[in-house]
Amino acid sequence: MSDESSSAPRWARRASAMRAGTGRARNAAFRQRFLAVLVLLIAVFIFFSLTQDRFFTSGNIDALLTSGSILWMIAIGLTFVMLTGGFDLSLGSLLALSGIAMGTFMTSWGIPVGWAMAMTVLFGMLVGAVGNGFLIGRVGLPFLVVTLGTLTLYSGLVNLWSKEVTTEVISPTLNGLAFNNALGVPVSVWVMAGVFLIALYVQRSTYFGRDVYAVGGSADAAQLSGVRVSRTLIAVYAIAGGLAGVAGVLQVARIGAASPQVGGTVIFDAAAAVLLGGTSFAGGVGGVGGTAIGVLFLATLQNGLSVSGVADYWQQIISGGILIAVVTLDRLQRGGLASLRLRALGARPRADPAPPT
Amino acid sequence: MSTAAPVLRAEGVHKRYGGVHALRGVDLELRAGEIHGLLGENGSGKSTLLRTLAGQLEPDAGRLVLAGAEVRFADPARAMAAGIATVTQETTLVRELSVAENIFLGPRKARRPWGIDWRRTRAQALVLLERLGLELDPSTPVGELRPDQQQMVEIARALSIVARVVILDEPTSSLPDDQVAALFEAVRALRAEGVAVVFVSHRMNEVFELVDRVTVLRDGRVVGGGPIGDFDRASLIHLMIGRELEELDLAASAPRHDGGAVMRVRNFSVPGRVHDVDLAVDPGEIVGLAGLVGSGRSSLLDGLFGLEPTARGRLEVAGRPAAIRDPRSAIRAGLGYVPADRKTRGLVLDMSVQANLLMARSSRSFRLRRPPRGAEERTVAVAVERYRIVTDSAATPVARLSGGNQQKVVLAKWLETDPRMLLLDEPTRGVDVGAKAEIYRTLGRIKDAGVGILLSSSETPELMLLCDRILVMYRGRIAAALNREDATEARIVHYGMGHE
Repeated sequence: MSDESSSAPRWARRASAMRAGTGRARNAAFRQRFLAVLVLLIAVFIFFSLTQDRFFTSGNIDALLTSGSILWMIAIGLTFVMLTGGFDLSLGSLLALSGIAMGTFMTSWGIPVGWAMAMTVLFGMLVGAVGNGFLIGRVGLPFLVVTLGTLTLYSGLVNLWSKEVTTEVISPTLNGLAFNNALGVPVSVWVMAGVFLIALYVQRSTYFGRDVYAVGGSADAAQLSGVRVSRTLIAVYAIAGGLAGVAGVLQVARIGAASPQVGGTVIFDAAAAVLLGGTSFAGGVGGVGGTAIGVLFLATLQNGLSVSGVADYWQQIISGGILIAVVTLDRLQRGGLASLRLRALGARPRADPAPPT
Repeated sequence: MSTAAPVLRAEGVHKRYGGVHALRGVDLELRAGEIHGLLGENGSGKSTLLRTLAGQLEPDAGRLVLAGAEVRFADPARAMAAGIATVTQETTLVRELSVAENIFLGPRKARRPWGIDWRRTRAQALVLLERLGLELDPSTPVGELRPDQQQMVEIARALSIVARVVILDEPTSSLPDDQVAALFEAVRALRAEGVAVVFVSHRMNEVFELVDRVTVLRDGRVVGGGPIGDFDRASLIHLMIGRELEELDLAASAPRHDGGAVMRVRNFSVPGRVHDVDLAVDPGEIVGLAGLVGSGRSSLLDGLFGLEPTARGRLEVAGRPAAIRDPRSAIRAGLGYVPADRKTRGLVLDMSVQANLLMARSSRSFRLRRPPRGAEERTVAVAVERYRIVTDSAATPVARLSGGNQQKVVLAKWLETDPRMLLLDEPTRGVDVGAKAEIYRTLGRIKDAGVGILLSSSETPELMLLCDRILVMYRGRIAAALNREDATEARIVHYGMGHE
């Protein structure tokens, strides 16, 4: 079983014996995949720069980065969740719910924009902590069930709350957040950088960051060593929710309205970015650094292809193909051809050189 | 029986993994109707050799000769078809299926034109079980069997493919003493049928009891072998580790009985598993817990460490009542716990030696604090030195360490918390002779420092070597308390079986 294909990882109960077997290769594998995707990112970047005049222009690079800002937030939040061996399907609908909350705070309640933004982030955090974190971390329900439930639940709430209509949200501040530059760089890119650096610090330089890896590696061992496993799990779902709140704010700013029709498939793109970045579904290995590379790669590919005039569906086909190719190559490099289990499909065993006698 | 023709011969087998030369020209000869002990420390190349024989690995050089003809196995299925069966430490049974279904897993069940002939499948399973001297109903789900019975179902499965060679890789490592005897009977039954059995064990007394010939590996080479009668314990260990094992003198420091118990437990129960246990451990005392698997030893330790929510009873640590609800409160009270399952409960395998070593000690720090890197590195360097942990660096994932060194990391993790009392469950399971001695020496030093130790083990000789007192558990109760002088293997087994 690979890190990716193994069945739903559980935080509690026994860690699989399989994991014990693959443990030694996994840290190295993470570094390798991280580098591979980085090289791929640079290659794709150079390719589009050389072939498309309109690609490497400051306007387009700004557009490329800002278009990835929402995915960036969701993917970073998801990284923490996946490091604990979990997953959060509900982040897309939580993004939409946060957007509606933002709209309500500003238009119905008349709260000033700054406070409304802070409240939206807090709202996302609370919903993440209570809705998913509590049920998964404290009650101990399986994360796929819980987040599938909240995914649907939040979508319903979005429509209930917004009455299925898009409300315009007019604010120069929000407009500036989406479209202005500061020191020659789009404001939303500053926000992305800030969130990334904080996430990186938390992951690498705090005890909490260690707890996240410990819970993902073996929740039993972590608990036995005095780590508060429940609290750590609640915290990662709260972080993911808070960042979905940030994404909701950015979303409202970009379209100038609170719309119930956003967030649809962002969770799948986010999962792809996290996986490309080397964090696995099994938990315990990876990090936000890889995720950043993953998001940038997907954003560059998407932008480059649309600049080249390639149709949307080709973009989908190509990014899906690349995700599978990267994971496959990664496994090939670690375990050789045999690890792909092609034999079961009827392929012949490889020929062996005769042993020297 | 030692004059029989060789069934399987390995000649000049080499195997490299990257830069590691795991096997350097190994010869091994297995004869029909013998039990062949394969000995060596972890990392000596034992498992690589076994995997080569079983078709899981292909040698880089050298050849395998089965019944006079050279063979090459592309995969384990072919080795099995040629009559080489492996029974590994982890059982590969499907718990939900019956004994008969497990023995004839896959397409090998008896068939009728329209489907599976269950009656005949069960009958065939019964024949195999009887050959092994087992009284089992073939329709029992495997999950309901004891560990030794499961192990034997695996052997029955090996037999069902008309095995010529059966490889038993540490079959006894998770079995208590009384179940080992039944397993040995089954192994002897295999021998009587002319099967060549390869037997791997770290327990020397089992080797002397069971095997006919031995081969000793060290650093990927055969360093000795021959009929077991040519060796004694010391000479075998010398061959395995390449040096003399220092004699242990643990009795040197006596426990301090004057100052009051370091831990006292009264009326401790875990409903359904542990009933009204009273015990006390003095400073510097090692109290052993003997008993069968399922006698409640592990549940007792789990319960004392706050891992059993339903546990009831009174607990005092160093004279003060301790309310232990979870591992955190247990740690705060001064307890440390080395669980039996090192790989999933003792350690986070993907994390570094450093992170594992400091995990318990730092569990009370504020979580958003930055760990003091410099101080941590110094602490780890000292611990690595003191407990002789063999590792490339403090940043190496513990998964890459040998079993013995992993266990030293678990011990060091708790010693770094300055515990008053350590709970140990099977601390030397799956650990080789050399590392075992070092763990014993560490326990000796902990004892000298006045820490109390409650040590649960399935290995009676280990308990008799280390413990000042031994408590024998039976069905969740303490059935007997034996002083060091009164403890004999026979007595421990006697009380462990529930006799008065």
